[in-house]
Amino acid sequence: MDKDYSKELSVIEGKPSLATITHDISVPMETMPNKAFYIALSVTLTFLGIGAFCLILTFIYGIGLWGNNNPVGWAFDIVNFVFWIGIGHAGTLISAILFLFRQKWRTGIARFAEAMTIFAVMTAGLFPLIHVGRPWLDGYLLPHPNQHGLWVNFTSPLLWDVFAVSTYATVSLIFWYVGLIPDFATLRDRTTNNIKKLIYSVLSFGWRHSNRHWQHYEMVYLILAGFATPLVLSVHTIVSFDFAVSILPGWHTTIFPPYFVAGAVFSGFAMVQNALIFIRKVFKLEYIITLDTLEKMNKIMLLTGTIVGYAYGMEFFIAWYSGNPLELFTFVNRAFGDYAWAYWIMMTCNVFSPQLFWFKKLRRSIPFMFVVAIFVNVGMWFERFVIIVTSLSRDFLPSSWAYYKPTLIDGGILLGSFGLFFTLVLLFTKAMPVISIAEVKAVVDGSQPTHHGGHE
Amino acid sequence: MNNNKDLINLNDDLEPKIPMEFKEGVTDDFSVEELSPVSRRKFMALVGASTAFAAVSCSDYRDKKEVVPYNKKPEEVTLGRPNFYASTCTACALNCGILIKTREGRPIKVDGNPDHPISLGKTCSIGQANILNLYDPSRIKSPIKINKSDEFFLFKKDVIEEKWNVIDKEITDLLKKATSENKEIAIISEPITSPTAFRLFEDFKVKYPTVKFYFIDLFDENNKKNAWVKSFGDIPMSPLNYKDAKIIVTLEADVLGRECNFLENSGEIISNRNAEKHEEFNRIYAVEAGMSLTGMNSDYRIRLNPAQQLAFVLSLVNELGLQKKAFNLPGNVENGVKGYSLDKFAADNKVDLKTLKNLAFDLAKNKGKSILVAGKSLPEEVHIAVNMLNSLLDNKSIYKSSTFVNYYPKSSKSEFESLISKMNSKQIGVLIQFDANPAYLLSSEYGYEAASKNVDNIISLTESQNESSRLSSYVLPINHNFEAWGDYQTRTGSISLQQPVIAPINNTRQKEAVLLNWMQEKPEEYKEDIYHKYLMARWEKEVFTTVSPATDFNSFWYGSLHDGIALLKDNSTPNLSFNFNAFNPTSTLAANGYTVVISKNYFLRDGKYATNGWLQELPHPVTKITWDNYAAMSLSTSNELGVKMNDLVEVSANGKKVTLPVLVQPGIPEKLIDVELGYGRTHANEVANNVGVNLIDFIGKDYKSKFIRTDATVTPIPGHYQLASTQEHHMLTEKFVKDLHLERGIIRETTLDEYIEDPKKLKEHGEDKPHFSIIDRVKYPGVKWAMAIDLNKCTGCSMCAIACNVENNIPVVGKEQVIKGREMSWMRLDRYYSGTDEDPIVSQQPQLCQHCDNAPCENVCPVVATTHSPDGLNQMTYNRCVGTRYCANNCPFKVRRYNFFDFREQFAKGYYEKDSLKPLYNPEVTVRSRGVMEKCTFCVQNIMDARSEATKNGKDFDGTGVKTACQISCPTEAIVFGNMNDPNSAVSKQIGNTRNYTILEEINVKPNINYLAKLRNTVKKEEV
Repeated sequence: MDKDYSKELSVIEGKPSLATITHDISVPMETMPNKAFYIALSVTLTFLGIGAFCLILTFIYGIGLWGNNNPVGWAFDIVNFVFWIGIGHAGTLISAILFLFRQKWRTGIARFAEAMTIFAVMTAGLFPLIHVGRPWLDGYLLPHPNQHGLWVNFTSPLLWDVFAVSTYATVSLIFWYVGLIPDFATLRDRTTNNIKKLIYSVLSFGWRHSNRHWQHYEMVYLILAGFATPLVLSVHTIVSFDFAVSILPGWHTTIFPPYFVAGAVFSGFAMVQNALIFIRKVFKLEYIITLDTLEKMNKIMLLTGTIVGYAYGMEFFIAWYSGNPLELFTFVNRAFGDYAWAYWIMMTCNVFSPQLFWFKKLRRSIPFMFVVAIFVNVGMWFERFVIIVTSLSRDFLPSSWAYYKPTLIDGGILLGSFGLFFTLVLLFTKAMPVISIAEVKAVVDGSQPTHHGGHE
Repeated sequence: MNNNKDLINLNDDLEPKIPMEFKEGVTDDFSVEELSPVSRRKFMALVGASTAFAAVSCSDYRDKKEVVPYNKKPEEVTLGRPNFYASTCTACALNCGILIKTREGRPIKVDGNPDHPISLGKTCSIGQANILNLYDPSRIKSPIKINKSDEFFLFKKDVIEEKWNVIDKEITDLLKKATSENKEIAIISEPITSPTAFRLFEDFKVKYPTVKFYFIDLFDENNKKNAWVKSFGDIPMSPLNYKDAKIIVTLEADVLGRECNFLENSGEIISNRNAEKHEEFNRIYAVEAGMSLTGMNSDYRIRLNPAQQLAFVLSLVNELGLQKKAFNLPGNVENGVKGYSLDKFAADNKVDLKTLKNLAFDLAKNKGKSILVAGKSLPEEVHIAVNMLNSLLDNKSIYKSSTFVNYYPKSSKSEFESLISKMNSKQIGVLIQFDANPAYLLSSEYGYEAASKNVDNIISLTESQNESSRLSSYVLPINHNFEAWGDYQTRTGSISLQQPVIAPINNTRQKEAVLLNWMQEKPEEYKEDIYHKYLMARWEKEVFTTVSPATDFNSFWYGSLHDGIALLKDNSTPNLSFNFNAFNPTSTLAANGYTVVISKNYFLRDGKYATNGWLQELPHPVTKITWDNYAAMSLSTSNELGVKMNDLVEVSANGKKVTLPVLVQPGIPEKLIDVELGYGRTHANEVANNVGVNLIDFIGKDYKSKFIRTDATVTPIPGHYQLASTQEHHMLTEKFVKDLHLERGIIRETTLDEYIEDPKKLKEHGEDKPHFSIIDRVKYPGVKWAMAIDLNKCTGCSMCAIACNVENNIPVVGKEQVIKGREMSWMRLDRYYSGTDEDPIVSQQPQLCQHCDNAPCENVCPVVATTHSPDGLNQMTYNRCVGTRYCANNCPFKVRRYNFFDFREQFAKGYYEKDSLKPLYNPEVTVRSRGVMEKCTFCVQNIMDARSEATKNGKDFDGTGVKTACQISCPTEAIVFGNMNDPNSAVSKQIGNTRNYTILEEINVKPNINYLAKLRNTVKKEEV
């Protein structure tokens, strides 16, 4: 406790030299993958293969291979979609919103979180395409001029989804890429391999680390951060409209947009935290991705988890307070009906487990936070399951009720989505710097311009 | 052109240019000789010819399927327009009149023939679904000869497709040989209702004197008939007339669903449940064990073990005769009923005494205007007691003036026993299974199958393979109902005609024609019209002369053929007087252990129609189970046995054990199991085989009442089974989900008296005033379609659902898919229970697309595949649908159906995708592909038909004359469809009714299906 609080604490531990930072971050790209990497990759590729196989079967035989039925028209397909979109929330939040708020601790984790965003959105984006009965007609979902004079339905939230998700994916990608340009230039300068050099040269757009470049870069990054910020909020708002705009009790709720956004940040942070615990260990980057940073992430999880818990409570309250018997039935049914098991998994994982982060000791214990973050992701997956499946399975007319049971194919596709996501993550760690070299250097103690030339 | 001319005239300077339009000199050095030898014309000819040759050479010239272009149009066929032919349904012995709709020569739909005096334009589920049997891929295509070669060495049978004339020759030789050796020729047939077939059988007997006929009928009415003869003397039975009955008491008789002519009964009974004529409103008391359609629709239902039915009737007689002195009792009757009383009966059987007192009060009050009917499964003495009570109550108008016509009596147990022993002692020369399935229908106690091994020549006439045909040496395929000639008479007063509407699809012959042909000198020279001529000859000789119309025979014949019916003179009302000596107060049934009630299935008849996928998948009207039979029992019985729904029990009766899944059914007496027949086929088609359990063996040889076994034992056995239900089963003890249908205003009902007192009371759920809207409502200036369903008239018989299946090409999905909740029927019958588990109150509601004005499905479709039409229809554009299922999720009624698979391909390895089924489809309705959403269209094809007809005639379309398939099929006219903008239309009048309501009004989707609340005619409190 001998910290000097009279000035800003460094987010980087120790005082590493700038060259060390460059070296440590660039090492994975300059060395051959080790055995552990290949084992990890083979696991994720197996998952991906299982998912692809299940998907091919679905294309051949139809959606009937899934457990979906009448009345439960959406189940794992849309649960997975919303789950992955949620995972994709942390990245842009960290890189854009925290950037605008000048949160320096974000620099260590922003790049990786952004990459996860891109991959999560890619994974999520698959589901709307494959969940339709006739995926070969997916083009119908895009407004394109055609001789039939057919146009899409702009009143449908599903169409809003198409735009929201594709906009988010595009902006996130650009934002991520712009951030990568100086690092690509660094890598270009470091590498001795001609092919790599060519690739990095092309990717770095002729970046020469000139003052002018930096000036433009900073401005573009700021503008993009400003541009991406509302998107962070809008994507999940619009995804929540898929439900909120419908008339189904349990879906038709005005609290959904903020509740979904909070939930998305919640699960996104959990996923980033999970992955970073490995990354910092494996790539020996503990001094950049510090325990303090992880603790800060845990605090955000505590906050968003509490917001989510509040939303659950408020939903219940409104169901009773509104005096709408259908709504009340739906919520009582969630907690005590056929799917009560799913509801209580969700409650335990999402509401109770993050509350343990009030304790500093637990908050700073890496094994503990890892487990809690896993719980949070399980819980957030079940949250979507509870919202989608329980509301559909028992709606207005008791005669149409039916219990939904997932099939092996459903499970296979869920597994495949994890396979796809982690395969991309693994490839990313060996192909691009997982931490923004340029940004980290800017927050190292002593790198800021001072009046005293950096001396006390 | 004129403009150009003017232009030219105006502008003189243009003139010189005109002659230069063709370049000068083009024709200057033109020479034919210098032209290429291949002219343009020749070049085109060569190209054309070579393309044609290429096309022809690539095609299979051996494919000589008959393609008959309508370049010479048959007089009666207009492309795109349907033709209707009157005929008779032969699916059961009721022989309803039917109208068969054909398109370009293919039958595609069956409806009732409105000119038929008995069925009055209605036909049951089997009759409608029978069209699927016509095109069934498992129909035998041509005659088969099976050489039972030396079975000691060869276990394989040789199955040879043989020509008809060869087989005819061989069989006639066999018949002649049997006759000369004086061996019996046994013919096993279903009971016949055709006078011409009767004549044919008689003729056949003359030709082959050793012929003996055996008639097999699982659901015979022997108990009823014997009681009739004992009660009233040896006179023919009369059908019941419900038109004048104020009080209807059914004893184990499902008069609305399975008993007697339920179509006719339903019409008569329900037409007297009209809220607008409440003084005629009848009251139904159902006394029964298993829950039936009648029980569900009754005002009072008394659950009773059938062994107690006699005690019930005698207690009633005691109450009415001795306590209330409503009539005088002869001495023997008085002695017989002395020991009974309603109080004791109520206490013994845990029946509500008040209900019984109400019943006695009603019967005494409505003397002469009540009707008691006992079910055919009840023993003779109950029938006699019921006949007695009816005559004591002076119920004279309960019998119709016509009587039943019987041609051959059904064969008795001893006749079949002697047949089996003759088979075993090789005294049977030839055994002909004449479109009958004795191997399935006779209980294994008879040992029919073993005996058949001792008969050398067994001939089966059948449409498709069955348990009996597999024992045969010759299997002769016969025509379907729609390919055959015939006449049928079930009652005096009319004869119904049957005519073919399509040439035999396969190499089949009409079963009667086969017999007739074997009587000819040269049977190998068969003529197609042989039975047709025989039929006409009999009509000319017998029917024409009885009717003696003022026309010649040809006009009479074609007139009758057109109408499908010939009306005959009827005999007068029989004068019935009850013979009190027949009264017998000793019951032959005594409950001892568990009672098993063996019921007829609503849709499979005796199992013959188990081969029909539509019927297998039509949910049971009460339990909503498809594709299975089960042991239905009460909650208390299941608790006693320690079993739950879908557990297994072993039921043993008559020395036979079967394992059945449990279904907990409210309203069943304790220690009683209700099971259904018609399942467990083993040698039928892919649809029927191994579906459910065969319970024929429960029906023993020696029985007092063959459908009631009072000596059964039931034991739970480990294991689990999944019944395929289209509706979730909730216990009435589950408080959480109980009565939700009432709380949510989905079902609104009240009693007749309360309704008369305050008709507005039903409206308390929703207001009449329109909901507030921030936007301008869409106006429907022309026609606007709406439907009104009178829940007071709906019995839940499910005929609308099957009509919809046939009309709209709805696929069969199979049991596994029903379990998953993916059944495709656009029309479903929702059934809700309230009250207690012992005495449930049942409500029903047909549920279909509500065509909401503010349809929630429409705005959520991302590709505009579901839209609203200017006449108020909620439409589906199948081509545009990508299948997001969002519309179905957002449908509050969950009436949208999704093609999770290509169900035709998926069901039973593409059984219903085979070529033979292609002509079945209604050409006006798209066959939907995999991944597409579908739902009720209000039969838009019929709307478009009527609209184009109006346009053709130059009239404004006012929406009259359009009927939906469900509406046409409804036996009680509960469904009304039409233009709600027309104040005079039937549907507008129904919408204006005070009982009218729409469901889920509070979510403001504004449905266009209107329901009229059900009224229950319970007794006023102050009345008793």
